[in-house]
Amino acid sequence: MADAPSSISSRKGVPAAQAPGNPVRDVRGPIKRLYSSVRDGRGFDIVLVAFPLGFLFLMAGLPLLYNVLMSFQEVDMFSLGTLMRPFVGLKNYRDLFAQPETLPILANTAIFVAGSIAGQFLIGFGLALFFWVNFPGASWLRGLFLVSWVMPGLVVGAIWNWILSGDFGVLNFVLREGGVISGNIFWRSDPNYSLYAVILANIWLGTAFNMILLSVGLSAIPADLYEAAELDGANAWQRFWTITLPMMRSTIGAIIALGLIFTLQQFDLFAAITSGGPNNSSNVTQYWAWEQSFRQYDFAKGATISVLMIIFVMIASVVYVRSTRHEVRG
Amino acid sequence: MTETNRNRLMLLIALVMAAIYLFPLYWMYITALKSGSEMFATPPTFWPSVPQWSTYAFVWESRGMGRYLWNSLVIASGAVVLITVLGVGCAYVLARYRNGWVDVGLFLILMLQVLPASLMITPIFVGFSQLGMLDYPRLAVIIAIAAKSMPFFVVLVRATFMAVPMELEEAALVDGNSRVGAFFHIVLPLARNGILVSAILIFMQAFGEFVYSKSIIQDIELQPASVGLNSFMGPNTNEWNNIMAYATIYVTPILAIFVLLQRRIVSGLTSGAIK
Repeated sequence: MADAPSSISSRKGVPAAQAPGNPVRDVRGPIKRLYSSVRDGRGFDIVLVAFPLGFLFLMAGLPLLYNVLMSFQEVDMFSLGTLMRPFVGLKNYRDLFAQPETLPILANTAIFVAGSIAGQFLIGFGLALFFWVNFPGASWLRGLFLVSWVMPGLVVGAIWNWILSGDFGVLNFVLREGGVISGNIFWRSDPNYSLYAVILANIWLGTAFNMILLSVGLSAIPADLYEAAELDGANAWQRFWTITLPMMRSTIGAIIALGLIFTLQQFDLFAAITSGGPNNSSNVTQYWAWEQSFRQYDFAKGATISVLMIIFVMIASVVYVRSTRHEVRG
Repeated sequence: MTETNRNRLMLLIALVMAAIYLFPLYWMYITALKSGSEMFATPPTFWPSVPQWSTYAFVWESRGMGRYLWNSLVIASGAVVLITVLGVGCAYVLARYRNGWVDVGLFLILMLQVLPASLMITPIFVGFSQLGMLDYPRLAVIIAIAAKSMPFFVVLVRATFMAVPMELEEAALVDGNSRVGAFFHIVLPLARNGILVSAILIFMQAFGEFVYSKSIIQDIELQPASVGLNSFMGPNTNEWNNIMAYATIYVTPILAIFVLLQRRIVSGLTSGAIK
């Protein structure tokens, strides 16, 4: 026991007698040192970060890689339990693009994304500008709008499914009374309208979130800019174009990128309103990928679509991270 | 126009806009109280003539909502516990240091946050079935939700930790606290509110989660309320008053929590997602 300290320090190449500074460290065994580092040093941080990152790697990183692997394999119900299934190269990708429904579904996805983002952003921006004029109760009422965002997607979908109902839907009633339409629109079962039915519900769902984030951006613009512009004789319209919009540029970029990310995650509304039908007229890639895997049990195809979409989503998220980077770093 | 009148006018317009925006919610509550024939009346009634309060009890019994909501509660609580235990420490470390590694970690976490659940479920399902995890479907869903939502939680809680002055922690260290002691006695109590709000947000999300539960949980006894609502809505259903009653029972607790904690939730949300 007596020469344990010297043996440790000589292993480190420092003679025990000359150990400078902190001789206490040399007396401890390696286990003890590890323990004290975890309790009171760098080790504490490493332990705190290692478990969550390990968990995320296992449960999100590995599935991502597994997805890529499966997209190059032939997967059916019999080979589901094995890892090394027959490789087919790019066959899954070629088959995917040979299918007649692929291009229409990609086009639907583009329309869904563009329509949802445009609607959410424009209405959200309008509301944010309105609530920016401070009046009693403004912030409370503004927050109330967020209920659309905290509700389960399935419930939102169920409510809109009923509102959009063809014969008895209240939206058709309002549009008829307002003289916008003469006959009922069968939102969910008419292939010309089914995609727009989901877009409508999605705009409602996402507008509040856009508005809240835009409000935060607006309140960060220094008020003296407006005072100066007003003194110079700029009217409200000019102030909006020359101060508000340029000052909001990075916020707007981040919000549109976030909108893209959230819109591509939207699944529940499709499940609750149209199920992608009729005849794929309202189908989008994120719903289609799930359908392939869990309705057709074609996991390879589901994985193939997923890989393509995930690459796309990642590009969007790089844009998002870049436009918020200085804030993320604090 | 005086200041007061302007304020009143603005408030009035704001109320009208809120009423229009929240109309779908109103329509849910109203439809649930209508009778089977009133629901299909043309023109539709905007106030139920004879409120059918018994619909709630009927739907609760006939759809077995107690079981569905219990499963939702189990899944959401499990996910929140797992995320909080793992995520708080991660957020703390990411808030405390500024260097290249932290930037890389944050970037990876933000990337994981954006992966759509409906695209990730394919490899997760196949992987879980190979590991035999599908025998414990609720646990499998909890783990999947935790992996999906933890990045969001970490980003939110990190913003909270950044607001805790580092000097307080350093003072505690000088006074002889260990890192563990300072973390549990000084930093965590100061960040408690932010952590709580983030956990509530995660809970509300997990309580309504659908994709993973629908894909992984086959046994109806173990399915959460979102899957129950989905199977209630057949393609040609006409029980809309019952469905809306189901939706009401499901969503009202969430809305109540939200309205009570609205201010905190909104500020917590905005501090993390974007500055």
